[in-house]
Amino acid sequence: MDNKGSSQKAGSLLLLLLLVSNLLLCKSVASLPICPSGAVNCQVSLRDLFDRAVILSHYIHNLSSEMFNEFDKRYAQGRGFITKAINSCHTSSLSTPEDKEQAQQVHHEVLLSMILGVLRSWNDPLYHLVTEVRGMQEAPESILSRAIEIEEQNKRLLEGMEKIVGQVHPGVKENEVYSVWSGLPSLQMADEDTRLFAFYNLLHCLRRDSHKIDSYLKLLKCRIIYDSNC
Amino acid sequence: MAEPALETTVQFFLQLASPLGEPLIHFLWKEKGANMKENVASTVVFILLLFLNTNLLNGQSPPGKPEIFKCRSPEKETFTCWWKPGADGGLPTNYTLTYHKEGETFTHECPDYKTGGPNSCYFNKKHTSIWTIYIITVNATNQMGSSSSDPRYVDVTYIVEPDPPVNLTLELKQPEDRKPYLWIKWFPPTLVDVRSGWLTLQYEIRLKPEKAAEWETHFAGQQTQFKILSLYPGQKYLVQVHCKPDHGFWSEWSPESSIPIPNDFSMTDATVWIFVAVLSAVICLIMVWVVALKGYSMVTCILPPVPGPKIKGFDTHLLEVSPEKGKSEELLSALGCQDFPPTSDCEDLLVEFLEVDDSGDQQLLAAHSKEHPGQGVKPMHSDPDSDSGRGSCDSPSLLSEKCDEPRANPSKFHTPEGLEKAEKPETNVTQPQGPQSTSVEGKIPSLHASGSQSSTWPLLQPPGLHYSRSSYHSVADVCKLGLGTAGAASTLLDKTDTCALKPSQTIETGGEGKAAERGESESFRFKTDQDAARLLPQDKTPLTSAKPLEYVEIHKVSKDGALALLPKQNEHSGRAEKTSTPETSKEYSKVSRVMESNILVLVQNRRAQNLAPFEEPAKEAPPSLPQNPAAVDLASFPAAPSSCRLQLGGLDYLHPTGFMHPFQ
Repeated sequence: MDNKGSSQKAGSLLLLLLLVSNLLLCKSVASLPICPSGAVNCQVSLRDLFDRAVILSHYIHNLSSEMFNEFDKRYAQGRGFITKAINSCHTSSLSTPEDKEQAQQVHHEVLLSMILGVLRSWNDPLYHLVTEVRGMQEAPESILSRAIEIEEQNKRLLEGMEKIVGQVHPGVKENEVYSVWSGLPSLQMADEDTRLFAFYNLLHCLRRDSHKIDSYLKLLKCRIIYDSNC
Repeated sequence: MAEPALETTVQFFLQLASPLGEPLIHFLWKEKGANMKENVASTVVFILLLFLNTNLLNGQSPPGKPEIFKCRSPEKETFTCWWKPGADGGLPTNYTLTYHKEGETFTHECPDYKTGGPNSCYFNKKHTSIWTIYIITVNATNQMGSSSSDPRYVDVTYIVEPDPPVNLTLELKQPEDRKPYLWIKWFPPTLVDVRSGWLTLQYEIRLKPEKAAEWETHFAGQQTQFKILSLYPGQKYLVQVHCKPDHGFWSEWSPESSIPIPNDFSMTDATVWIFVAVLSAVICLIMVWVVALKGYSMVTCILPPVPGPKIKGFDTHLLEVSPEKGKSEELLSALGCQDFPPTSDCEDLLVEFLEVDDSGDQQLLAAHSKEHPGQGVKPMHSDPDSDSGRGSCDSPSLLSEKCDEPRANPSKFHTPEGLEKAEKPETNVTQPQGPQSTSVEGKIPSLHASGSQSSTWPLLQPPGLHYSRSSYHSVADVCKLGLGTAGAASTLLDKTDTCALKPSQTIETGGEGKAAERGESESFRFKTDQDAARLLPQDKTPLTSAKPLEYVEIHKVSKDGALALLPKQNEHSGRAEKTSTPETSKEYSKVSRVMESNILVLVQNRRAQNLAPFEEPAKEAPPSLPQNPAAVDLASFPAAPSSCRLQLGGLDYLHPTGFMHPFQ
């Protein structure tokens, strides 16, 4: 019986060993969702992710800027909307760095989460922007096409950022903080002036926030990939 | 009346005007009396107005409204605003800039009025917030008042315009194994923070030769160096560079940098020229090769080869005379020279080449090929030439062949005078058969016993029968006449003729001219064919139609082209004995005239030795000859030995209709 007992022990020990190794392996695999083959490849992959993210953010800001300029030229001349569009962006509640020093002092993980927050905050407004611009009388095609494109690219950028976050600090389940947009009723106002101002304000805020995201991402890219030596 | 109103007005103005003026006015007012009040009033008004104007001319007024015309951030960390002052109102005006930021309530004043220059406000990093709207206002204040500008809403995000790049360096690089180039390098502006990625700059350079009017611009992307490959040597180039942030405005152009390009700055690529040269050489070689290959065919296309004269002598076909048509002249056209009585040397030819055959086959027997090895045999069988050389008597080869006939057998062809008239009735005096189908060459038997180097053209039979096959009556006659003209290929042998000549048979009696016959028989196979018989009327004398039937056989064609005609000799003349004298062969060398358009009168050759005997038969010719007018018509000709001359279509020409020569 001694043999039996020892064999049983050995068997259970072996089983335990297998189990533990499996768990460890599983965990290690789970901890590297994007780069299964190793750190070096991960780094390269992160570079590609950042490059793509920067390209997207740059593109989105260009579109937003053009869209705003077009709208301003066409609808907002002489109405003094700028005077009213002060402190009216819904994302202002998200505390984001306001200059380079502040941005450089923020840890990249925090910065990434801020970026994600802003991106998420814009999902809803962009969707409604497209809907409402389409419904406008004499919907300007240039504005509408850009709105559609921005909405599309914003989703892609969000996905890319989530992947980056997954690589930069994996395993952290962040709180999905974002600002809720409540400007939809204004967009649907019957009063043309009010409605136009609502659009103006929305496009103004979009231009700003896309620039913000672009700047943060470029900072992060140079910091993470090139070690602040772009 | 107006005085109280005037006074009130003056007092009013006095109050307005200088206080000094008031007592003056009162004084003046009191002093003057009532009469002078009007004058005084106007004066006072005048003076008051003067004072007023003077005050106004001293200018003090509140300042005009300033205007902020530009705000700019060089690096997205600071910014500066400049304003344009309005009218200052003549008084020192103080400008202040105030602002407040979006989301804040209290107002700030410009932190730095100096750094940016006059009428500027510089916001340093501490005071600069990105993504925030600044509401900026400039206040102008002077003693008289103040004024404010319109507020300007500034977001630093959108006013970024960097400084130009710095340290622009130009360098000419000429590496040994590569093309030379101009290397342009620069640095980003000092204030811009590119390393942290806060700003991303893109550059653009432009250059031009010093004297050129337009710049050549190149976009350089985010790199801080650029290579120019295409430069004109010997010129001085000016280069400038500027930059643009990722979402901002282009900077000003940097100051010009210049660099002279040396004259020996070789921009040409030798390899290109080498390649071009090699390619051209290859193309040339290919063309030469093609031309060489096709050259021959091209040349032959362009210059087709001139067909050589293929006249080798007689055209045997021409010698062929059809009985129906009377192509006897074809035989003549063979143009042999003739010793009409076949001489020994001609005999061989005759023997060789004449085959009198009725069947129409051209069978020239080349029996004496030994003597005339090449002569008749080859040509007669071979007439491969498609050229119309046949019958050309000018062919040297022919002539040489024919005329070179040896008088090897002079004995054989004796007696031209032995030729008798072919007077046999049965001997059809068919037209002397010209050389028809048998080729002339080689069929010319040189009958000239005298060994004249002539070839004879026996008159051949009627067409359809070859020369070879023609049976010659005249031969028979010759036999009879003792001519023994072998050359009378045209003569038919009558079978019944004692002189029926068979190939194997020789003319038995040479003395009687059978030598000729013999010769003939040797060379010819004669078939007696009366139809084919051909008589060669031999008529020495130019006969009229009275003697139409006198023929002279073309004995041979001499080297000179003369027709040697065998005079037709009367058998009775007993010329047999003359057969031994080759020199008696008559040669008719010339046509003296043509009679009645169908009779050729031949002139006997002077070489003829024996004239006499020939004359007789000439006379005797007519009756005995079966006349075949169509056929025989050989003109009578004086038998005359003729030199061997080949004459074609030319001088000596034998008769026309009888021969039916092709030339008619």
